[in-house]
Amino acid sequence: MHIPDGFIPLWQCAIYYVIALFFVYFAGRWSRNNLNEKNIPLLAVLAAGIFAIMSMNIPVPFGSSGHMVGSAMVAIIFMSPWAGTIVIALVLAVQAIFFGDGGVTTWGANTINMGVVGSFVGFGMWQVLKRSKLPVISGKYASIGVAAWIAIFLAACVAAVEMWLAGTFPLGLGLLYMGGYHAMIGVFEAIITVVVIASLESVRPDLLAWNHKKDKDDFDLSTKTQEEEEVPSK
Amino acid sequence: MKKQTRNLVIGGIAIALIISVLSPFIASTNPDGLDKSSELINGNVPDSGIYTAPFADYSVSALGDGPLAGIVALVIGSFMAMGVALGYSYILRRKKENTQ
Repeated sequence: MHIPDGFIPLWQCAIYYVIALFFVYFAGRWSRNNLNEKNIPLLAVLAAGIFAIMSMNIPVPFGSSGHMVGSAMVAIIFMSPWAGTIVIALVLAVQAIFFGDGGVTTWGANTINMGVVGSFVGFGMWQVLKRSKLPVISGKYASIGVAAWIAIFLAACVAAVEMWLAGTFPLGLGLLYMGGYHAMIGVFEAIITVVVIASLESVRPDLLAWNHKKDKDDFDLSTKTQEEEEVPSK
Repeated sequence: MKKQTRNLVIGGIAIALIISVLSPFIASTNPDGLDKSSELINGNVPDSGIYTAPFADYSVSALGDGPLAGIVALVIGSFMAMGVALGYSYILRRKKENTQ
């Protein structure tokens, strides 16, 4: 889903940069208030893991391939979409500058799609689904998987709209192909997200913010310090 | 560093390295969702050539075309991503401590 240089006119890239930097600024405020000696290493290894797994393209039907993004996963682990936004923004910067994956001029657009949309939609849908009374998908892990799938699917749709605004894709075909391919890629995203979070829950539950956040049902989008309670680690 | 933190970091790095070593062998060479959509809609993938990254396409060109070039690039990148996240976090924490 990384948009390379050349897909979007520079003036539109500038607008996306401004929007992305707005979110990165607030993600910085969240980081300053919430990152500590305990969760900084977690954030760093997630950045390394996400960098690596983004390189592993899995084939999907009809001649395409795709990789995991991980923004919903980080947002759910930290119980904050700002965490997902900043990890993806940093990883995308490394990829664009050093590895040519995603453009330097399109970093803003990519950060909006994969970082902001991925994190906020993933986190928001998870919160909505787990509170819903829907059968199966309101379950602990089912809600995470479905939220991760929706996050990727909607991020791809937003990318298709950006391509339309750029004059690169017509809207209908762009949404059809981008949505269609990423609906398949999203299945992979959902599975890995659930596996990683379920593994952390069984091995290191103290690393999952939902286990030590004081108000566990708080729908928290703020950048303020989240109140915590002690959780014994295994 | 506490033992638990050390184990987390070692475990995380190990997973990133395993993926980095496997990826050049098992990753699909099919175009990704965006490139494929562009191919189907426009018949090509536009290339601006505005900037060339030092390890373009996740490959260290000095190491040739083999999988080693990809593995080395991914290992470098994983550590870079980790370093950037660590640097970012500690700079913000220091800023907070200074303002308190």
